[in-house]
Amino acid sequence: MNANTPRPHPADQDRSISELLSGTARDLPSGRHEFHKERLMAQIHDIRRDERTETSAPRQQRRLRLPRPAITLPLTAVAVAAAVVAGVWQSGGGAGVRDSGVATGPALTTKIGAATTKGMPQLIDRISLAAADTSHPDVRPGQFIYIESKSADSFIKTVGDKSSLASHALHTRQVWESADGTEGWLIDPSVNDSPEGETLSLPDEQGNTPEATLNAPSYDYLAKLTTDPDELLAKIYKETEGMGNTPDQQAFTTIGDLLGESYPPAELYPALFKAAAKIPGVVVVDDAVDAAGRHGIAVARLDETSGQREEWIFDRKTHVFLGERTVQVRKGTGTDALITPGTVTFTSAIMKRAVVDEMKQTPTRNG
Amino acid sequence: MRTRVRAGESSAFAELFDSYARAVYNHAFRLTADWSVAEDVMAATFLEAWRLRDRVDPEGGSLRPWLLGIATNTARNQYRSNRRYRAAANAAAAAELSVPDHADEVADRVDDRRRVATALTALARLRAPEREVVTLCLVEGLDYEAAAVALGVPVGTVASRLSRARRKLRAHAEDAAVGTPYEKVPGNREGGRPARQTRGDHTSVIRPAQEGNR
Repeated sequence: MNANTPRPHPADQDRSISELLSGTARDLPSGRHEFHKERLMAQIHDIRRDERTETSAPRQQRRLRLPRPAITLPLTAVAVAAAVVAGVWQSGGGAGVRDSGVATGPALTTKIGAATTKGMPQLIDRISLAAADTSHPDVRPGQFIYIESKSADSFIKTVGDKSSLASHALHTRQVWESADGTEGWLIDPSVNDSPEGETLSLPDEQGNTPEATLNAPSYDYLAKLTTDPDELLAKIYKETEGMGNTPDQQAFTTIGDLLGESYPPAELYPALFKAAAKIPGVVVVDDAVDAAGRHGIAVARLDETSGQREEWIFDRKTHVFLGERTVQVRKGTGTDALITPGTVTFTSAIMKRAVVDEMKQTPTRNG
Repeated sequence: MRTRVRAGESSAFAELFDSYARAVYNHAFRLTADWSVAEDVMAATFLEAWRLRDRVDPEGGSLRPWLLGIATNTARNQYRSNRRYRAAANAAAAAELSVPDHADEVADRVDDRRRVATALTALARLRAPEREVVTLCLVEGLDYEAAAVALGVPVGTVASRLSRARRKLRAHAEDAAVGTPYEKVPGNREGGRPARQTRGDHTSVIRPAQEGNR
C-alpha cells in the first residue's frame, strides 16, 4: 500500500510521535493543584514530626487539636463529600478529619473589624500585665490541666460535584492533660466517635510516644521554655521552619495555639505576647467576638496566602484572653472562593482552665 | 534547589510541586490511561520524592527527570499488567470520543479529545517498558542517559526499547492507514500546519483530526 512512499526520517518520526503523544497534556482539574499541594505539605509536616520523635527520647503527648483551618478546609471537603447516612458523617480522605457527631448548618459569618497598628505596644503591655496578674497554681505530679472551650468552624462541603459552605455548630470541648503530657482525655463531639470521649494517653494507637514540641506542648515543656521574648521568637521560627504558608504567619499561629488550648506558666505569658508583637504584620483589631459571643479587642495577623486573619481576642477592660478565631477577610481563589469575606472559618472561646486531681473530673470553680 | 531538596526544606518541595505537578500528572496519565489514577500517582510521586530526597545528587540540573523517574515507578506499581493498561486505554479513548459533539463545544476541544484517544490507542500497542521509554524520551524530551537513570536500566536498553517502540508505532500508523479511506493529497496543500506531512504519509494517518479537514 504505502510501499512506494519514502521512509520517514527518524528525527521527523520522533517529532511526530512526540506531537501525537503530547497532545494528551491537560491541566489538573480546577482546585486540585492547591489541594494536593496542601496535602503534600501536611504529609511532609507529619513525617517530619514522626522522624523527630523516632530519634529522640520518648516523652510527651499526642494532641487532638482541630487541624489548622488552611489544612482542614480541603480535607474536610473530601471527608464530607464521602456523604452521609442518617446524620453520621463518614470520613473519606482520612487524614486529619474524624467522624463527627456535631450538627452542621449554614456558614458562620461576622462583621470584619478594622485593623490598625496603632496602640499595639500599649495593648501588648496591658495583656502581658493582665496575664501575669492572673493566679496560676502550680501543677503537681499526678495532677491534670483541665481546659474547657467552646468552638465552631466553617468548611466547604461537597456533595456530588456541588460545593457549598457549611459549619459545625458551636459545641463544648473538654480536654485533660497530665503535666508531663503522657496522660490525657478528650471530649469533643466533632472529633470523638462516642460521647464518652477518647484517651489521649501515650503511647498512642500506633505505639508512638511523641516528644513534646512547640506544636504539641506539655505543661512541663512550657515551664522549661525561655521567657526571653527574642530567644523565644527565634526558637519558634527555627522549629516551625518550612511549615505553614509563610514563616511569619506560622510563628504567629504557633503562639496562638499555645494561648488557645494550653495553660502556660504565668512567666511565659508576657514572653509569648512580646514575641508575637515582634512578628511583622501583626495588627490590632478594634472589635472581635469569641465563640461564646463575648466582644473584645484582638491581636491579629492576616495570612496573605489564604486571605484569612487569625485573631486573638482579649477582654477590652480586663485584657484577659477570651479566645481566638479565624476570619476570611479577602476573597479566596478556586474552591476557596466559596468562603466569602466575613466568614468565620474557626472560632473558639476558653471557658475554664483549672488544675484537677483526676482525669474526667471537672473543677468546682473556675481556675 | 538540589541542596534545599536534600536538606528537606518543605518550601523547596512546594516549589517543585508548583513547577512540575502538571508535567508529572500528564506523564502519569500516559502511563496509566486514567486521569484519576494519574492524579493519585502524581500525589504519591511527590510524597515519594520527599522520602527519597537524600538520594538526590547534589550536582546537576533540573529535578524534572528525577521526578518523572519516580512517577514512572509509581505508575508501574499501579498497573502491573499490560492487559489492564489496554483496557483502561480503550475505555478512556472511548470515553473521550463518546462525548457528543455539542454544537457549542469548541472545535479545539473536539480535536483535543480525538488527540487523546489516538494517543492512547497508540500507547496501548506498546509493552509497558517501551511505553515508559517513549514517554520519557520522545514526549518529555529526556536524553537516553537521563531516561536510563530514571528507569534504572542501562543506556543500551533504553535505545533498544525505543527503537522497538518506534517500529510498533509505525506499524500502528500503517494499520490505521488501511482502516481509513485516505487519499494522499499531492503537493504541499497542507503547508502551514507544521510537522504534519513533511515526508511520507505515515505521520498524517495517525492524526485522524485530518479527516475532518479534508
